[in-house]
Amino acid sequence: MTDLVLDGVRVLELGGGIPAAFATRWMAGFGADVVRCEGPDGALTPEEEVYLLAGKRRVEASGAQLLELALRADILVEDGRPGHLARLGLAPGQLQKERPELVIVSITPFGQEGPYAAYAATNIVSFAMGGIMSLTGSPHRPPLVNGGSQAEYLGGLNAFAAAVSAYYGALVQGEGDWIDISLQECAAGMLELYASRTEYTGVGPHLRSGNHVSAVWGIYPCADGYAGVCCLGRQIPAFFRVVGDPELEEQRFVDPLERLANDDELQAKLYAWFADKRKRELLELGAAHKIPFGAVLTPGDLLENESLAERGFFDAVATPAGVARMPGRPFPGLPWRAGEFHGPGADTEAVLGEWLGVRA
Amino acid sequence: MKELPFAGVRVLDLTMMWAGPFATRLLGVMGAEVLKIESPRAWDNIRTLVPQEGIEAPWNSSFYFNYYNNDKKSVTLDLAQARGREVFLELVPHCDVVIENYRADVLENLGLGYEVLKAAKDDIIAVSMAGFGKTGSERANVGFGPIIEQMAGMASLTGYGDDGMPYKTGISYGDPIAGVSAVGAVALGLIRRRRTGHGCFIDLAQRETMATQIGEAFVVASLRGEEPAHHGNRSPRFAPQGVYRTGGVEQWIAISVRTDEEWDALALIVGATQLDGLGLAERQALHDEIDGYIERWAAEQDAQQAMEQLQAVGVPAGRVLDTQNIHDDPNLAARGFWVRLPHPRMEPWRQPAPAWRLSEANPQLRRHAPLFGEHTRAVLSELLGMTGADFAELAALGVIGDEPVNPGVG
Repeated sequence: MTDLVLDGVRVLELGGGIPAAFATRWMAGFGADVVRCEGPDGALTPEEEVYLLAGKRRVEASGAQLLELALRADILVEDGRPGHLARLGLAPGQLQKERPELVIVSITPFGQEGPYAAYAATNIVSFAMGGIMSLTGSPHRPPLVNGGSQAEYLGGLNAFAAAVSAYYGALVQGEGDWIDISLQECAAGMLELYASRTEYTGVGPHLRSGNHVSAVWGIYPCADGYAGVCCLGRQIPAFFRVVGDPELEEQRFVDPLERLANDDELQAKLYAWFADKRKRELLELGAAHKIPFGAVLTPGDLLENESLAERGFFDAVATPAGVARMPGRPFPGLPWRAGEFHGPGADTEAVLGEWLGVRA
Repeated sequence: MKELPFAGVRVLDLTMMWAGPFATRLLGVMGAEVLKIESPRAWDNIRTLVPQEGIEAPWNSSFYFNYYNNDKKSVTLDLAQARGREVFLELVPHCDVVIENYRADVLENLGLGYEVLKAAKDDIIAVSMAGFGKTGSERANVGFGPIIEQMAGMASLTGYGDDGMPYKTGISYGDPIAGVSAVGAVALGLIRRRRTGHGCFIDLAQRETMATQIGEAFVVASLRGEEPAHHGNRSPRFAPQGVYRTGGVEQWIAISVRTDEEWDALALIVGATQLDGLGLAERQALHDEIDGYIERWAAEQDAQQAMEQLQAVGVPAGRVLDTQNIHDDPNLAARGFWVRLPHPRMEPWRQPAPAWRLSEANPQLRRHAPLFGEHTRAVLSELLGMTGADFAELAALGVIGDEPVNPGVG
């Protein structure tokens, strides 16, 4: 036995898209034997496959063999349409009868039950229905989907955390559970203050405000790209000292309510101030004066970032197209392994042998 | 009756604002006993971040604070005072988890770093959630969710595409991502402790958990050296895809076509039958023209009816639900997602239920966020056997308190 937290834990992923694949990605890194049973072709792009399937074993199985695999798993994760498991002959109630400690996680856009259960969705549809989109983008343009496939990753992240939480519960109590994760609910429960303010105060919906919540909370063009600042009241004095404009000592910018009333004027000053600053200079000022400055960095920038390299954030994974570098352990403190990338079906024989005792 | 996964787990919660409290809210809803520790002098600013005029003890009546802090107990302790620190370290042996999201140097400055916690309880599971972690050359940087999003590569991927400008996500996106990740870290720590008897120290960096949500962009950058491209609301894989204005005030619908069949169904509805039969590449090439048909159709529709009509023929479509009408969405309503939780000082309003629907353990919101210091005496009495004389001593020192000092500071 290694010192990996999930060493010996068997996870069956009924492959679909990002949600199920991301849910089990960290389980593989923390030591679980994650077996992905391939789903429909083309559910993941080649880049998504490299990132999400590294460290997993990939099999092709169906029917009675699939049922046998499921009954030998500790955690089962799938993101098919509602009722997918039952249609495969893997109804959760039946599996739990034979194996009460099994943790089952099902991820769908709108939940296993409800009026939209049968609705079709891609990432942008799930993102729209979760509420975050109404808050994102320029007020002068349509609401904007954010980058990547965030509604789907969010579902995968919640499924991961829910699955390992339920697995801990199963270790203590001897019983697993069936967890119904809806992408819509994952997003609808994290609308910062905006949903509760609308609902509690009756002020009407809060709509998108572009890159600025206010002048001291937003993104500005800078000399070498874009940079950001996010100040709470207590951080504003240090920020204004660094900006160094004597007018910022006037009451209309010092008093929180007056400052909001003069937000356009303040933004104009800050557009001018940021324009000749470089990202590195801003980050150094931020660290020295405890001002929340940020820089808009690209994945390429981050692959060269010293701090991330010092912390050992990236894994290197060999792929047919070369060595890919990608986010590895989500947090340090527990042993992690960078996995190998396998092709579809590459591990069918080995897994059927080890899990089921089937000899080729 | 099956118990919740974290039944029997006790958490010392030093977190504030959003990322940490979002994590401990989930821990509480999933069965842990969460002791939210605040100093009378340095308390969770979320309590008064949104000013509420004319409200008595506004720090107890904040919808914002309540949203993140249900199912927790409130215990005051000033950790900057020697006596407060001492009481805290007496609590540690009674707890399984200590979690904090201070700036990277704060816990060590208080003399409560991991080694100190471990000396108090050898198998403690300690989770820190600083923006950039406790090691690495950028550890001294500070930041809230939008800064995390910028520094993690996320903001660079978002944009309309025609102006080169990156965009922030409309919420402080780094926070809840770090929060859910931290719950996973706690669960893994508990699994490890059960298997080995050892505790652990998790140095979660919010920037890193955020970057894990765009992993494929790093694969693209490292294999092909490509910079991020902004697609606006379009997609290289699905076409047409976009967000279209419908009737009503600021109402929009997202539509995303995956297959030729879905396109033919959509073309029939929006009156673009002369364009049916097009494959993906042709639809991409004619996307502007196709959008014209969809825009003219959508402008005459009710958003909800348009979504239902498209979904009825299998076309992926969804309203851009806003912060008001999301509370009336039929699907969320049927699933019991919005819950009116009673509160002693506030009119009940609709708060989100847990997105983790464990069918047997059945997690629910159980109790409103605690009033400031509501459980100080009960917890210190139950766990440390303290009595009235002890509380008088601590109160006289200002180590505990029933209301915040300097309540106007945000």
